Amino acid sequence: MSIRNYIIKRLFTVIPTLIGVSILVFLMINLIPGDPAQAMLYPKGTPAEIAALRHKLGLDLPLVKQYINWVINVAHFDFGYSVRSGEKVISVIANRIPATIELSLTALIIAVFAGIPLGVIAARKKNSFIDYTAISVSLLGVSIPVFWLGLMLIFLFSVTLGLLPVSGRIAMGSSLTDHTGFYLLDAMITGNLPALMDALKHLILPAVSLATIPLALIVRVTRSSMLEVLSQDYMRTAKAKGIPMRRVIYRHALKNALIPVLTVIGIQLGTLMGGAILTETVFSWPGIGMLVVSAISNRDYPIIQGIVFLVALVMIVVNLLVDIIYAYIDPRITY
Amino acid sequence: MDENTAKPRSLLGKSFKQFKKNKLAVAGLIMIILIMLLGLLAPVLALSDPIMPQLEHRLEPGFWVGNYTNLFGTDELGRDVLARVIYGTRISLKVGYIVIAITAVFGTLLGIISAYYGKLADLLLMRVTDIFLSFPPLLLVLAVVAVLGTGLEKAMLAISIIYVPQMARIVRGSVLTVKELPYIEASRALGAKDHTIIFGHILPNVLAPTVVYLTLLLADAILYTAALGFLGVGIDPSTPEWGAMLSSGRNYLLLGDWWVTLFPGLMIILSVLSFNLFGDGLREALDPKMDD
Repeated sequence: MSIRNYIIKRLFTVIPTLIGVSILVFLMINLIPGDPAQAMLYPKGTPAEIAALRHKLGLDLPLVKQYINWVINVAHFDFGYSVRSGEKVISVIANRIPATIELSLTALIIAVFAGIPLGVIAARKKNSFIDYTAISVSLLGVSIPVFWLGLMLIFLFSVTLGLLPVSGRIAMGSSLTDHTGFYLLDAMITGNLPALMDALKHLILPAVSLATIPLALIVRVTRSSMLEVLSQDYMRTAKAKGIPMRRVIYRHALKNALIPVLTVIGIQLGTLMGGAILTETVFSWPGIGMLVVSAISNRDYPIIQGIVFLVALVMIVVNLLVDIIYAYIDPRITY
Repeated sequence: MDENTAKPRSLLGKSFKQFKKNKLAVAGLIMIILIMLLGLLAPVLALSDPIMPQLEHRLEPGFWVGNYTNLFGTDELGRDVLARVIYGTRISLKVGYIVIAITAVFGTLLGIISAYYGKLADLLLMRVTDIFLSFPPLLLVLAVVAVLGTGLEKAMLAISIIYVPQMARIVRGSVLTVKELPYIEASRALGAKDHTIIFGHILPNVLAPTVVYLTLLLADAILYTAALGFLGVGIDPSTPEWGAMLSSGRNYLLLGDWWVTLFPGLMIILSVLSFNLFGDGLREALDPKMDD
């Protein structure tokens, strides 16, 4: 099968998944034991208010009709209104997205730039001190709860040493003007150096905590995939041709060893998102992770539905892209 | 002794020998046994009540200032942190075991049905697991908790929901490999019934990867339980659960009272690490490619 046919086939597998995800997310409200409208207004809510909310959410319509309406609305990015604040769900979520992207992307960058060199050096010098460090990092990274690590970093750097802020994205009363929602970017555009430093100081602890999740896996996969590539025949050929070791490693070996690493980063997106929920809660980082946790305590189901659906959508698209990139960069794979 | 007359060793014996060579895995196993004992003997080992508040002893530091009544200090309600950490073992292990049991039964069943009968059953299972795997695991757990409501039993169910599809895929993969082997065909040619083939020939062969995967999932399940406790959505805050302890200790940590959060966290790491080390060791020992 050619790559083009594979991609077309892969695109088609997305359709049933999307339909299934939409049904599941839609059903969330209907699966709530008892009356969802009553649950959302709990502990307040007169019978008349409950009936009004039920009507407003369309819960008095037949299930299939409800689903069709929901899908039509979602296609227009309309997830309804927050039960608590009355704001449009999509704008509540949109306001929070930049904070989560800023945090997750920084964490991923830290993990890639620390993890890949560590994995490569560990593979080159097997059983050395660096190798043992790499193994420990990959073991501890999957065993330390990110929220506990965050708390300990706060205790060390904020409470004890007083170097970094405890929580939030920026100091109260900062002069930063919000254009994009990405504070680092906003500070750079407006040339506001104090605000940039302040935003960075707020970002560093949450980003480092969150980075440990992808870091562990990137180190582990880079190391093992590099070890495998280094044992291949073409590596011996390259060495025999007299190509300097550095070049063999970084031009020939790393390029091939990075293929599984790329897949892992794609697969890890879901775990990273989960880590973001916990990290945001620890550091009161106002992203969608904190939003979903507060929506659960407030029984604000339209917000929960909106977040769950949009995040699943992003995951489906990223996994699709990873598969397609994979097909392009690894010509050994035939479909 | 001549190689030809050497005593044949069973797979189990060989695996055990391989496992013993891995010092980290053995250390993991020993720690697991100790942690289990800690949970079993909690009523004997814990010197004070883990739930009853003792407000006259709020936030007292422990052994590092010579307090030998409350070695790990006391929390914001005066409860002994050590006693709560010990009792927390019971909750984390209980949730872990039940989640693993649910996952093992349903995951294996679905995986075998899908791979063995193929066609529609397989297509259906793959598409449904695709759907579940499209959600970030923690977000899926939270969504289920949001629907079902809070409570330990519901948390267990929610965590199982993320593992059953993963398990089903792993089992499906191993069954597909085993299914095509000549001895299965031979057995079918001899007139063996489906259930004889499945339970007599296929199940024993997919057991090894299943057990390894379940051990690693157990480590993961402990982390998810703690995460739910920390987010305050899974478990009643008065329960001595490690994650919930971290959550209530957060505010006191900012005031410098670190012991309320340090010890439960260390206990989470220790138990998760033990199961991870043990699981990795098992994987190496049971992998036929690692044969010496």
